[in-house]
Amino acid sequence: MEFGMRLGKQLGPGDVVCLEGELGAGKTVLTVGIAKGLGIKTGVTSPTFTIINEYPGEIPLYHIDLYRLEDGDEFYYIGGEDLLYGQGVSVVEWASRAEGFLPEDCLWVSLKRLDESEDFRLIELTVTEKRRDLLERVSKSEDTGY
Amino acid sequence: MKILAIDTSSMVASAAVMDGQKLLAEYIVNHKKTHSEQLMPIIEKVLESSGTSIREIDAIAAASGPGSFTGLRIGAATAKGLAHALGIKIVGVPTLDGLAFNLPHCQGIICPIMDARRNQVYTALYKWDRGGFYKLMPHCAIALSELLEEIKRREERVVFLGDGVPVHRETIRKELGDRADFAPKNADRQRASSIAELALQALERGEGQDAESFVPFYLRKSQAEREYDRKTKPEGCL
Repeated sequence: MEFGMRLGKQLGPGDVVCLEGELGAGKTVLTVGIAKGLGIKTGVTSPTFTIINEYPGEIPLYHIDLYRLEDGDEFYYIGGEDLLYGQGVSVVEWASRAEGFLPEDCLWVSLKRLDESEDFRLIELTVTEKRRDLLERVSKSEDTGY
Repeated sequence: MKILAIDTSSMVASAAVMDGQKLLAEYIVNHKKTHSEQLMPIIEKVLESSGTSIREIDAIAAASGPGSFTGLRIGAATAKGLAHALGIKIVGVPTLDGLAFNLPHCQGIICPIMDARRNQVYTALYKWDRGGFYKLMPHCAIALSELLEEIKRREERVVFLGDGVPVHRETIRKELGDRADFAPKNADRQRASSIAELALQALERGEGQDAESFVPFYLRKSQAEREYDRKTKPEGCL
């Protein structure tokens, strides 16, 4: 949650965060953090059923879960592309289903539970060279090990 | 013959009323993409300010695509709703034709480019010949590099316009040098009046379809088609 907030504070319009991690790895919790970092007041819930949840704010947040989609075509036909390249921040779970639609400079975040622990997660953040500055800003804002 | 034209294929939302003699009203707004909120009030404004009752409209012209998926859906849904209720026809005009028509009597080649993301553009090549234009290259969704290769094979000057220009201007300038020109701001984005004029010409030729059969033209291949193409050829045109 704290990492999500730190990340959320550094994100801007058009940024796309792709989340990877097993069930219960904390993808929704991380998204709650990102929403808080963006200053969004509304409560964040899982979009697995709704596919897309939109949260209005100064920078809107689009929380997308592609688990229930078959392929990229379905993503296109729900207008997903217009969201990803729009004015908000997108958090995408199961992003591999929309391969070929994602912007080149997505951030990839992978979440892993450490030793079945409830409280610790290994978080890996991968960015393209172009977004290296963002990685640095996020890590500078970090104080505790996560 | 009075026509109501709309174009919501990009960030721009535009509506116009035109008859056989003149353009009566046009509205263009290019500020945030909120077509679902903006389009109907814009239509109301152009009708009201041209003193036109919606019942006087003989056909709806709609920019049919390619373009933003959501934008095209809003345009198509609006056109279908109005045309169905009024019992009139829809004339779909390809977005790229409308853009090229912003530059009438242009010398050299006209090349509208719409940003299709990931370095791809929706594009076509046009040339004016007296009263009208013809296509040198059909509507394509291709990589910018491929378009520039195609243009390099031709010797003429090229005028670029559309929302792909701000994204790719530097690359185009670098690759084509002085041969490339860019349309001025008053003409470089979608205008409903261009769609209206082309639709009137199409109606004279007897074109147009009923509300039910009109569909947007996405210029995009399905995943299955893309995978097949990946094995056979790199990109495709329509």
